[in-house]
Amino acid sequence: MNRDPLFRRKTSISYKTEEKTVLRGYNLSDLAEKGYSFCDAMFVLFQNRIPTAAEEKMLKYEMGVFLEHSMSPSAAGAIGVITGRPNLPCAIAASIMTFGGVHGPGAAHGYMLNKYLDRAHKEGKSLDEMAKILVDEYLDNKTPVMGMGQPQHIDSDPRAEPIHVKQEELGVQGVYLEFQRAVEKHFHARRKAEGRSYVGVNVVGSGNTALCDIGFAPNAAWCIGSVCRGFSCAAHAIYNMKRGRAWGASRNEPMVQMIDLSMIKYIGPEDRRVPKQSERQEYAKNQKEQGEYKQWVI
Amino acid sequence: MGDLGDKKGIGNLDSPKMPYDYSKREYGTVPLDTKRAPFQWVSEVAYKNVHRIVARGYDTTELMEEGYGITDVLFVDFQSRIPLVEEEQMLNYVMILSFEDGLSMPVLMSRMVAQSKTFLTQACGASILAFGHAFGAYSAFGNRLEEFLNHAEQEGKSTAEMAKLLVQDNLNDESLGVSSLMLKDPAAKRMIAHAEKLGVAGKNIAFMKEVVAAAQQASSEPVDIDMLGATGAVMMDLGFSPEATWAILAVTRSFAAGAHYIEEVERDIAENGYTRLGQALTPKDIYDGPDDRPVPSLEERDKNAQPAQIHTPDQWNQAFQERQKIFGTGYRIHEEIEDPSKKTGVKSVGKKLD
Repeated sequence: MNRDPLFRRKTSISYKTEEKTVLRGYNLSDLAEKGYSFCDAMFVLFQNRIPTAAEEKMLKYEMGVFLEHSMSPSAAGAIGVITGRPNLPCAIAASIMTFGGVHGPGAAHGYMLNKYLDRAHKEGKSLDEMAKILVDEYLDNKTPVMGMGQPQHIDSDPRAEPIHVKQEELGVQGVYLEFQRAVEKHFHARRKAEGRSYVGVNVVGSGNTALCDIGFAPNAAWCIGSVCRGFSCAAHAIYNMKRGRAWGASRNEPMVQMIDLSMIKYIGPEDRRVPKQSERQEYAKNQKEQGEYKQWVI
Repeated sequence: MGDLGDKKGIGNLDSPKMPYDYSKREYGTVPLDTKRAPFQWVSEVAYKNVHRIVARGYDTTELMEEGYGITDVLFVDFQSRIPLVEEEQMLNYVMILSFEDGLSMPVLMSRMVAQSKTFLTQACGASILAFGHAFGAYSAFGNRLEEFLNHAEQEGKSTAEMAKLLVQDNLNDESLGVSSLMLKDPAAKRMIAHAEKLGVAGKNIAFMKEVVAAAQQASSEPVDIDMLGATGAVMMDLGFSPEATWAILAVTRSFAAGAHYIEEVERDIAENGYTRLGQALTPKDIYDGPDDRPVPSLEERDKNAQPAQIHTPDQWNQAFQERQKIFGTGYRIHEEIEDPSKKTGVKSVGKKLD
């Protein structure tokens, strides 16, 4: 059996011999044998260190609370993909790929915090002062403040505040939580002064703050969150695969299905005759000159 | 709703720090909203009923019956128009050139997925994931070209001036469309010449020529238009948006990726078998992380563990720099993660029923 590497790359994360698999210097088997957890290994992978017990607990909490979120873009993506009945990994991959600039933008939140912490450092400002600057700059530019607001949980995300409190209880609060709390304070104050409704912190604002305080970089935190969600999306996909209708369009179901024909709403050009090939060139020329088509170009 | 009893005493949920009484939050699903239009899949591209499939108003069966083909339907779907004969011919040309690229990344991904014993569709799908903002960077390339052309029009600058600015900012960018990749292969320049011959070359190809000239002047090594630059400019002169170009050419390549999957199964896998979990080794000679070290006992955790918490911006800065020294932590990366829908906006449809 050929055991040559598929690709040759320099790496400082791991190596694998016939004898062992070593992650950041630790024999993986030894890590497991000595009672460390999957969450502990996450710190070794991304941070090259064994975490404190409190840090390990914080990660365990964050991953557990983030894992399931019922119908979000990620679950909807997995369900949509699985109705065609490809292999399951396709649906799971699709669900993880829904995480972007709006759905669970953990890296974007982390980058935002780091950018303003850097400014606080360089400009000699307090965290509170810099938090107000952040809020003012974002809201003046009509840019959403990352980590605030959730379209479904409009009366405060049920996961968010508890994560903040858990972080304090475990004593793993640091500069990120202090800064995030200050951002929230100034965010609420400004919206209130403008007579706008209350918008609470979301799970990215709190969960990612906790991940930052326990040492994870923005992309590492994003990886943890979005891949963790893949677990529950796999469950949604498997449920639909085993108990749901393939295709999602059956007329025999008591409930209208996802892609029943009546579900299609068309708002494009009106029905029109297909030109004959003999008139095609003139037709196409007129169409191009009139330019009506341009409103439909995507 | 059954009696759920006393909900107090769950973790931190009774904490006075909580801004609300968590135990008072209701259970149960949310009833259907009967005051708004029911769910529909909204599209301006196509619809179907029991008897017809209609794209942009044209019955697709009628299109085929009248002698139109796949390339025509791409114009219909993405641009809502029938192409000129010359435009259809040019798109065919582009798609043939985009079909195969040897053992490049989409094919490697397809073949690697094949090694796991998957469906062909899984390998084809994986190949599409190879198209990013370096390899097959039609979105990055096209949006930049559009941006600078728009600036030229709005600011009254010549395209030659804008080309210089574009090159000044992006000379070494993977999505420039000018590089040393095609110095000995005439395919890119032949594609441009073909577009000119068919009379479909427009402002994008003209601007791309200015970009090439500016890059040749700015570069210390010989460069010329590459396949990305030629294909991207031609597709945009055919009226396709950067995103449509990206999608069409990635899918075009995926056909060939399917063929590579088949050959992989028929030849390599037939001879050597599929790749199993844990089979591939990572030799230590390519590892430069920490030396092997004993895993401390859990009882020794406090002695070994270093907490990550920092409390001031200065400490944060110091810690940040330290963390950047370790590869694989993510601290060296900073990137913009944007919501691409902001470019086009979302059309509101439907209405309240009350």
